[in-house]
Amino acid sequence: MATIAKDIKHTAGGENKRTLLDMINTRDELTSQSGHYYGVTELSLRDSDPIKYERFYSKIHASVLAARESARYVAASPGSREMGEVLWGLATPEGDTLAVSAGFLSHTAIFPVAVRYMAKNQYDVNDGIEDGDVYAVSDGLTGGVPHPGDFYSFVPICIEGEVIAWAIGINHLMENGAPVAGSWATFSVDTFMDGLVCPPMRTGRKLKQESWWKAIWERRTRAATMNILDDKMRLAGCAMIHETTHKLIEEFGLDYYKRAIREVIEESRGMVVDNMKSTMVPGTYNGCAFRLVKYKGLQNVWAHADKNTLIHVRGSVEPNEKGIKIDAEGSSKWGYHSYNATPGGTDCAIFLGMINSFSHNTKVTAGIELAVQRNYPRGSIYNPDNEFTSNSNLWAQTVALNSIGFGAVSRGMFSRGYLEEAFTIDGNWGAFQGQGTTEDGSAYGFTNFEWLGGTGRGAWCYKDGEPLVWAAWSQMATIGDAEEFESTIPALFYLGRKLLPGFFGYGRFRGGPGNSAVHWCVEPGKHLALSRPNGGLSCTPSVGLGVSGAYPGPGSFMISARGTNLDELIAKGETPRDARELLEQHESGKLKIDNLEIWKTDCPELSLQNNDLFVDAAGSSGGWGDPLDREPQLVVNDLNQGVSTEYQFLSDMHGVVAEKNELGTWELDEKATMKKRADLRQLRLNESQPVAEWWKTERQMVQKTGFNEEVKEMYQQSLSFDKFRDEFCSFWQLNEDYMSEE
Amino acid sequence: MSAKMNAYEKGEDYIVALDAGGTMTDAILVKPDGTFTVGKSISRRDNQAKSYSDSVADAAGNIGLTSDSVHEKLAADIYCGTGMLNAILTGDGKKVGLLVTRGFDDITIMEGGLTYLGQSQEEALHQQLHKHPRPLVDPKNVISISERLGGGCYQGDVHLPAGHTLIPVNEQQVKDATHKLIDQGCEIIGILFIYSFVDPKHEHQAKKIADEIILNRRVNIPVLCSSDVAPVSKENNRMKSLIFQCFAAEQTRESFLKVEKTAQDFGFKGRLLTLLSYGGAVNMDYPRLYETMISGPIGGLIGARFVGKVLNLKNIVTADMGGTSFDVGLLLDGRIGMTKSADIAGHRLALPMVELDSTGQGAGSVVWVDEYKRLHVGPESAGAKVGICFEYDRLTVTDINVALGYVDPDYFLGGQVKLDREKALKALKESVADPLEIDVYEAGAGVLQIINGQMNDLLRTMVASKGFDTHDFTMLYYGGAGPVHMYGFAEDIEFEDIITLPFAAGFSAFGAACAEYMHRYNRGTRIIIPANAKEELLVQIANDISEAWKTLKKEAIHEMDAEGIKPEEIKYRYGVSVRYTGQIESFDTLLETGEMQKSENVRNLIDSFEEMYSKMYPEGAKFSGAGFTITEVNLEAIADKPQPNLLKHKLKNSKPNKNAFVEKREVYHKDGWKSFSVYEMANLMAGNVISGPAIIRDPMTTVIIPPDFEMYLDEFLVLHYRRATRG
Repeated sequence: MATIAKDIKHTAGGENKRTLLDMINTRDELTSQSGHYYGVTELSLRDSDPIKYERFYSKIHASVLAARESARYVAASPGSREMGEVLWGLATPEGDTLAVSAGFLSHTAIFPVAVRYMAKNQYDVNDGIEDGDVYAVSDGLTGGVPHPGDFYSFVPICIEGEVIAWAIGINHLMENGAPVAGSWATFSVDTFMDGLVCPPMRTGRKLKQESWWKAIWERRTRAATMNILDDKMRLAGCAMIHETTHKLIEEFGLDYYKRAIREVIEESRGMVVDNMKSTMVPGTYNGCAFRLVKYKGLQNVWAHADKNTLIHVRGSVEPNEKGIKIDAEGSSKWGYHSYNATPGGTDCAIFLGMINSFSHNTKVTAGIELAVQRNYPRGSIYNPDNEFTSNSNLWAQTVALNSIGFGAVSRGMFSRGYLEEAFTIDGNWGAFQGQGTTEDGSAYGFTNFEWLGGTGRGAWCYKDGEPLVWAAWSQMATIGDAEEFESTIPALFYLGRKLLPGFFGYGRFRGGPGNSAVHWCVEPGKHLALSRPNGGLSCTPSVGLGVSGAYPGPGSFMISARGTNLDELIAKGETPRDARELLEQHESGKLKIDNLEIWKTDCPELSLQNNDLFVDAAGSSGGWGDPLDREPQLVVNDLNQGVSTEYQFLSDMHGVVAEKNELGTWELDEKATMKKRADLRQLRLNESQPVAEWWKTERQMVQKTGFNEEVKEMYQQSLSFDKFRDEFCSFWQLNEDYMSEE
Repeated sequence: MSAKMNAYEKGEDYIVALDAGGTMTDAILVKPDGTFTVGKSISRRDNQAKSYSDSVADAAGNIGLTSDSVHEKLAADIYCGTGMLNAILTGDGKKVGLLVTRGFDDITIMEGGLTYLGQSQEEALHQQLHKHPRPLVDPKNVISISERLGGGCYQGDVHLPAGHTLIPVNEQQVKDATHKLIDQGCEIIGILFIYSFVDPKHEHQAKKIADEIILNRRVNIPVLCSSDVAPVSKENNRMKSLIFQCFAAEQTRESFLKVEKTAQDFGFKGRLLTLLSYGGAVNMDYPRLYETMISGPIGGLIGARFVGKVLNLKNIVTADMGGTSFDVGLLLDGRIGMTKSADIAGHRLALPMVELDSTGQGAGSVVWVDEYKRLHVGPESAGAKVGICFEYDRLTVTDINVALGYVDPDYFLGGQVKLDREKALKALKESVADPLEIDVYEAGAGVLQIINGQMNDLLRTMVASKGFDTHDFTMLYYGGAGPVHMYGFAEDIEFEDIITLPFAAGFSAFGAACAEYMHRYNRGTRIIIPANAKEELLVQIANDISEAWKTLKKEAIHEMDAEGIKPEEIKYRYGVSVRYTGQIESFDTLLETGEMQKSENVRNLIDSFEEMYSKMYPEGAKFSGAGFTITEVNLEAIADKPQPNLLKHKLKNSKPNKNAFVEKREVYHKDGWKSFSVYEMANLMAGNVISGPAIIRDPMTTVIIPPDFEMYLDEFLVLHYRRATRG
């Protein structure tokens, strides 16, 4: 621990005070030289007095937990108050996480990005960082923020002018003032269209925001009241952490504090690495996913962005001595669309699954970040070489990258025999957003992210998945209440909020069904329009394939039904309750719709009139195992319980034959089922071909490069990275300069 | 108090209060002079009447009386049970049918997606293992009905008003659904419509139709509406309240009535009472009996309120340490801190409940060290097996107290149970000292320091997170292990006073005897007060609030009359829940009076809200410019009920009598062996001061007084812990 002692001497306050950048350089140097956080090779404080050490951590942890429990009640947005879309943390002077509250934990990944930007740009030198200052951060490049809809407050904790910690609060805004209303600026082509984007900037002093800051919310966003209250919430929590940290240092002394914070992080890093080693099988776990960006025809004003793009999300996971390496090389390049990421934002995404899997039984600190080595090649969608890229819809594709990592962990667990931890991972969420003006001229903006709060969970390797049971991005799954969400949007009312029958991946074990809501426009006044950003929209939500022969969860979709005869259905008491029922009613002629659109890709703002309907479906999850291996009685049970409603589809999927009895209950025909399964298996054999033949045929297609425009560009971009080129050309036995001239 | 409720006459003022736990049914029998005795019996889930009579008989026997003679002189009989909770946990409840708003057909399966309730942070973080709790309603018995009410919007009066009918109730669907639920064998029907808390008209319309069908078909199926069971916002919580009432409460009522009959057969002339989870006592006719689901912890807080009144204490922090948990509660200005949604067995209810911060660490918690040399306490607990010193196979907190000498192994439960100190010491060495490579006694002292420190943090957090200062609070410790650890829990926190009681181990049951007869009524609202509200609007708002209170009063008078209480016997407390317009959470605001006619009254209401809010949050968190929204109007209706009495004693010498001294005992305290004087609790007198290092022993608990501290017994025999005032 000599290194620590040396450091303490240097970081004393007063005249010997070092700059923030000096402190970061010391941290980096000590860490890289030793392979241990801050050069801590022995946990001497813990080993010499474990009691005091645990008391110390218990106190800092209690402080962030208390901040959340108390401050979230100040919130205006359901996501902050009810759901897991909020977090408070305490970080070292360099931004390394020391303790976090409950909430969306992976957002700790941005702490060091913002602090390092401030250090590099000498915020502490000109004109200084003082105890109780308040900084706002929502920029991806300088603050590491995933997208501007996630807003951060940083409060430095200083003693004698020296930064000794940061109290940080985060939440997801309901509206952030972009051209497209809501909190995900769909159709942005660069950062200037992303809404309220703040590089780290001081907005308050002495734990109080300055007066001008309120004007920013009022003039630059469409939901000022909500945003101001959320801002107050973040600051209230930070103020509590600020106070308790000062008291903690009074109790333990500054020297103990400075040493202990390093040990806490190193201790957790070691435990995370141990967890990784004990649950994964060595090797490389590859995965890929795709996301369509449909901008063609929508961006006539910005010609350079007027095209569709197929984003290739590629990731590989390799356990090693230091923990795990995640490599995104081979993923697409950045583009003039809103789906780009930054390294900080990408960290936020991939740590989702890593924290759940490897940090849950440790002190949750920056240890996870130290244990996961990341490679986001420069120029790729995860590390653009253009400083003005838009990242407002980052989550719509990085969740797939997280699913690849999380899926790798699940496969590792399965391989090691931890069956209770092995299940199909999906990241299929949904939300909608928009703006309106009531008849009296009152303008408002909104986001409803209920389907971000909870989704079905994929099938386990031994049982079906469950509906609405978790959210891969938060440990606090909850969709909130319809009565709360409805009260935020004056002219939109629920006609349904339920599970969508048959909306899951099929397999020996099926995924948990996804969700569907029907929103009804009533007297919209002057204007009501909404749009849809979506993590499960026009995207393969997980690794693109089901697990062990099963189908993946179906992607999200939405329906706009404009110009309806809804009044007739109201009179009959037969309003549509979910997406499936709406389409069935339309097909049967019961529900008449002048303009029916089924959106499987991003849509422009949809203007709604009286009795128009907006219906969404999201949160599905994938299956596990061959559908023909499913216990036939389980298929019949699903029919009888309404989990699935289409008999013929199920019969063909699972090879199950059943009949309805006089009571209307489905009953299994075992003999016919056995025959149908045998027939289907034979059909499979008939349609199969040897892999060598398949490879040969496919190779010819690959060699011809006769792909459509979007696919061709995707390959060209991915092939511009050596690792993917090597893998791809090696597998298909192509020349090294394949597609490089096109 | 009317004769129907209670035939209370002067001189016949025994009070009995029972806490029917999972294992034992404890009875506290309070004698006319305020002193009391404890009885116990094995809890019989299948025959609670038998457990009741056995336990009361045991207590009566302690003072040479019979069950008959006690019951004939009973002024109040309070019974707290876990039957309802057991029904939820075991799934052994009524077959429930539900009518819900069309489109919300899956609400009982989805239940808001909440699957992390009641989990530790470690469990919550490992979210891949989350799952839904056992369903209480068969999905095929949930039928949706076409209807819709609007609830208004937070932006105010910019769109359709709250309560506006968007879709009328489809009466034919209600009829068809009722027939179907009857045919499917449902024993009770609930109705849950969206925004029924704003206006119950649709639910009541459906109920009327269903009741008629039930009557015509000559079946006995109650129909309950969510707007009557829990008339507050958030349909998922309201749904759970409705289901709990349907599934478990009605059958519990039947079971309670059997206990009541037993008591009356013994000669009791009044009505059996039980405790509401927010601190009142009601009889078995109370319509929302699910509100008595969690009645155990509330007992201690009611007891604290009682003690607070006797000692004239304004603010109290309570700490209850039993075998399996440590619960911290708050009383502010004599009122018990409440939360509006209760998490019970994985379900979140729209149920006001006493607010407790809890950890799963008690005297029976297992102490262990993991492979990273991290020390853990709990969550496993030895329960009645105490520890390795008795019948358990792992080291517990009690083992450490025995090993270090704090707890006398020969005087546990007054000597009825003998503990093995050597075994405890050996386990401490093997489980903690050796892995940490430290001395065994040092290890034991360290573990206690950790536990005490964590509880100390919980106490601080509970007070500080609400924005309060510990200097303004009296700290009250109880529970079997509370007095054993109070010296450590209170370390370095400056309270106004720190107290415990000779009967700390039975304090929760004692508290149940202290409960007041109270019902709470509330009604969800959407009353918006703009920041610049004009005079006439404020007057209108005052009238709206006043009208809401009138409605609630009418309800209170009606219900309490059915329970035997005359209108003139009822007193009221008035409250509202307020938020800054736009906020999601509302904050309970107590009002000094029910005066509400003028604009000035509304302004006072706002002042009360902001004053309370400012105590919780920094100044910057206020947002008066957004205006205010009143989301709930509530009323507490209170009637007199016989109360126990803390006997006042004449103050004696500060020096205890010789017969109080038992022995000198060596105890390893903090950093070394110290000689503690041991005293017998029963022989101490009011006015005595016991200087540390000392131990006060009692069959039910042990009070530790470390060096430099002392304990003063006041005229009520309340023990005051303080820094030593003499050498």
